[in-house]
Amino acid sequence: MSRPLLSLRAVEKIYPATVHPGERFRAFCQLLARGRSRGGTTVISDVSFDIQAGQSMGIIGGNGAGKSTLLKVITGVLAPTAGQIQQSGSVAALLELGAGFDPDYTGLDNLKLNAAFLGLSPADVERKLDDILAFADIGESIHEPVKHYSSGMVVRLGFAVVASVRPDLLITDEVLAVGDESFQKKCIRWIEGYLEAGGTLLMVSHNMYQVQKLCRHALWLHDGRARAQGDVFDVTQAYLAWHERHDAADATRHQGHASAELYGVTELILGDESEGEERVAMGEALDVTLRLRSPDGRSPVALIGVVRADGTPVYGVASDHDGALVQPRQDGSFEVRLRFPNLSLLPGGYAIRGHAMDPEGLRVHDTAEAEFTVVGRSRELGLVRLEHEWLE
Amino acid sequence: MAGFQIRSIFLQLLQRDIRGRFIGSATGWIWLIVTPLLLLAVYAFVFGVIFRARVPEGFELPFWAWLAVALWPWLAFSEGLQRAAGSIQQHAALISKVAIPRHLLVSSSVCAVFILHAIGFVVVLLVIQGMAADIHWLAVPYALLLLAMLYGFALGLGFLLASVQVFVRDLEQLLPTALMFWFFLTPIIYPPQLLPEAARNLLVLNPMTWWVEELRAALFSGQALPDLGILLMLLIVGISLVLGRGVFNRMSPHFEDFL
Repeated sequence: MSRPLLSLRAVEKIYPATVHPGERFRAFCQLLARGRSRGGTTVISDVSFDIQAGQSMGIIGGNGAGKSTLLKVITGVLAPTAGQIQQSGSVAALLELGAGFDPDYTGLDNLKLNAAFLGLSPADVERKLDDILAFADIGESIHEPVKHYSSGMVVRLGFAVVASVRPDLLITDEVLAVGDESFQKKCIRWIEGYLEAGGTLLMVSHNMYQVQKLCRHALWLHDGRARAQGDVFDVTQAYLAWHERHDAADATRHQGHASAELYGVTELILGDESEGEERVAMGEALDVTLRLRSPDGRSPVALIGVVRADGTPVYGVASDHDGALVQPRQDGSFEVRLRFPNLSLLPGGYAIRGHAMDPEGLRVHDTAEAEFTVVGRSRELGLVRLEHEWLE
Repeated sequence: MAGFQIRSIFLQLLQRDIRGRFIGSATGWIWLIVTPLLLLAVYAFVFGVIFRARVPEGFELPFWAWLAVALWPWLAFSEGLQRAAGSIQQHAALISKVAIPRHLLVSSSVCAVFILHAIGFVVVLLVIQGMAADIHWLAVPYALLLLAMLYGFALGLGFLLASVQVFVRDLEQLLPTALMFWFFLTPIIYPPQLLPEAARNLLVLNPMTWWVEELRAALFSGQALPDLGILLMLLIVGISLVLGRGVFNRMSPHFEDFL
């Protein structure tokens, strides 16, 4: 395998304490004497990955997870506290809106300065100027000071300069979201062309659709650590599922279990009885086993529902709807087994809820919940795949 | 990063530093010439009319001309140091978002100051030639060498000050006062002969004295070739560059954490 374009090994970043003048002075002395300072806040720890040429990666994660810091460390704006970063090939980064722009100077001056930062010689700039201006498409405003620009115009100019460089590795933070619809499309088209021509992209985005569309790999940062990394669909789906659960966590947590005198759920099992969270590929079968107890020996009605991880109901069915029998077992409990063949849920986080109802099917007495994740490579939207066909 | 890229970034930064002085002023570049002339007129008035200062023995020229030849290099030196010390902070927004060789920010700001004052210096020398005394133009190459060395000295100290100021902001308050003190410790607005014997011997310990005396000797007395003293000056320039750049290189990766 060829040398990776970018390689990170156990990268760690600690922001030093800088509030009190004394701390700053101490840090200065420590850095001068030993090359590192003590204490501070850990923002990134133990992040390692390789990016091969042509294999784009998206970095996702919640606010404050360390995504932007990681990009800064990779571009060299920040020095890592520990770990190694190796690069081969040219890199261009668009870290922030208007990065490197001086508001007092005209767009054209800033364009030239930024082009120099990216390694273009003045002759290169002259040659590419028309292309850059055409891409930015901000007209006569190029001769205005940047402080009069809208944020969209700033990002147009910034992206146009980067686009003219065609680096081996392009790094972007969440900046494209500022442009209007047509400029975003233009950027996406450009990036797609760049990727097809063998370019490599490292992007931070909160737009999972964009990440799935542009990247083959993804890294999920959580509290400065890599929580998951690998195939873009696996990682983004795990990330979304985690979010949905996070939102719903409080809502479901305080549902208590019914006392032993009532109809209750003793066990809810998904798939085989293996440990860990159930993962089902889209289109495969999901088996649910629900064990119930009854205070009076009559068989309760089992109600099984599917909810999305945030609690949105998807589907529910009770044993008495279909006339299914809840079988008594030898130990006096009852068991019902249900299969969803050809599961048409779209990839994401879901939960099965098993409810114990009285034999009349009138009241829910107890509820248990088990989470599972549907995996698959799909860009369809919504909750379930509906039967469909495209008509000629 | 390749050499030509470093150069083109440096030139862009330099151009921007210089243009930054004139942006927004109506007449722009005219001030390059007018400012030194006005300043020279002020000094001629203060020292020629109010104080009636005399040049030391051996020079045949008005005091203001004698002063001006030392003052402009000093202005370049002290302003260069102040600009350099603030250069990292001034470009904090840039440093935190774009990966550029940071030493260019310091060297471009010092270089811009020296270029502007060099233009002023030429204007001043022409005025002196026209109104006051003969400049020994044959010694100009040596004077240029001295100025280039002064630039190196300022650059080295500038690197050191820039690294310190990122961490210890107090320097920003301290530096102008320290430089003013240094100004009065250098025989720029007074001849060394005015000082008592003991103090005069101490003046030699101040490197700026060497530059000031050599420049006057070159331009007014026609000393066109350096003597052995230049080795000492080269040594101090070398020390300041090695030390300043050493500290700067060690500290610069951590700048962003402390800005």
